Amino acid sequence: MFFPLSQVFANPFALTVIGFIVGILGGFFGVGGGFLAGPLLFWTGVPMNFVVGTDLAHMTGKSIVATRRHRALGNVDLRLGLLMIVGTIPGIEIGAQLIEIVDKTGHVDYIVGYTYVVILTVIGLFTGWESIRTIRKKRTDRLPAKDVLDIEHIERRPRLFKIPPLISLPVSGVESISIWSIIFIGFFTGLLAGFLGVGGGFARLPMLVYIIGVPTHVAVGTDLFEIIISAGYGTITHSLKGNVDIMIALTMLLGAGIGAQIGAMGTRYFSGPVIRLLFSILPLIAAALVLLRLGF
Amino acid sequence: MSDSSTSPPKQDPSLQPLLRSILLEIAIYVPVVAAYYWLILRYASDKFTSLYQDSLARYAIAAILAIVIQGVLLEMLTSWLLRRFGLRH
Repeated sequence: MFFPLSQVFANPFALTVIGFIVGILGGFFGVGGGFLAGPLLFWTGVPMNFVVGTDLAHMTGKSIVATRRHRALGNVDLRLGLLMIVGTIPGIEIGAQLIEIVDKTGHVDYIVGYTYVVILTVIGLFTGWESIRTIRKKRTDRLPAKDVLDIEHIERRPRLFKIPPLISLPVSGVESISIWSIIFIGFFTGLLAGFLGVGGGFARLPMLVYIIGVPTHVAVGTDLFEIIISAGYGTITHSLKGNVDIMIALTMLLGAGIGAQIGAMGTRYFSGPVIRLLFSILPLIAAALVLLRLGF
Repeated sequence: MSDSSTSPPKQDPSLQPLLRSILLEIAIYVPVVAAYYWLILRYASDKFTSLYQDSLARYAIAAILAIVIQGVLLEMLTSWLLRRFGLRH
């Protein structure tokens, strides 16, 4: 099928299948899946300048589907999500400005690439290490089958930051936390998203769990809500630059819609530590893909 | 030790309802996808192309609206069908 906006011939069923696969990951882990969808879109023949914008557009729709499903399951903390957005949007803008500065050095690919690899590897290894310890501890200590963490000190520390105003997050079970902590996480993940050209879900999910103390299931749902806004914002800005092929995005969304629902429903069958353990593989795969692209 | 005072959502130990839901959703989606390709995409393609060439601002608004509407409709359609078939969802 010919897609006139990006001037490319692509198989619509292949695009739907890509959407389906990335949709399952998104619904289950609360990530946009850009690290996987980007290379796959490029592989189907979509020009590079259309890959990022088109991926963001399909990510917006997919996150709507998955968020509605997670909301029905009680997994979305709207208050937390809305507060994070306050930090996310300026973070994305500053990240994009940083890229412009780094671009002048002439080594933007390497600087961004290696930053990406380091951050992804740290997140993947840390999340994997923590979740394995937690799963072992649950077995040996016969802890109840609920969402537990093995690193209480990290979880509790930010709650000591009592910089007013303080709020409670009943959906997440957080009694009192500074608004600034939440905005900071939004800003930091937005900065990563703007600088690295990704959705930022791979960083937001562990930060929500380990820093704010949000249960993993709620972190997944809230992360998806956040992606609707950040990816929607990215879709508009990229569309204004002519870098979105909406026909390809809509085709991908057909598969992503069902995939996201399946992924979201799948979270009901796994405990928080198991979701985190499976999640920890994603950043490591993404880091390997970036290393390959850098010529390793 | 717990990372929240709230319990996570109830987990169903059986995967059977999920697998049934998946199979049913796929069965529903195949004709929907086929119809969508032939009816909507071909018609919408010309509209979006002319918008893209005439005004990127209007194209950006139309693009985000199309994605949001399709996302909401897809979710509503599958949820309704699954409720109608009596599957847990």
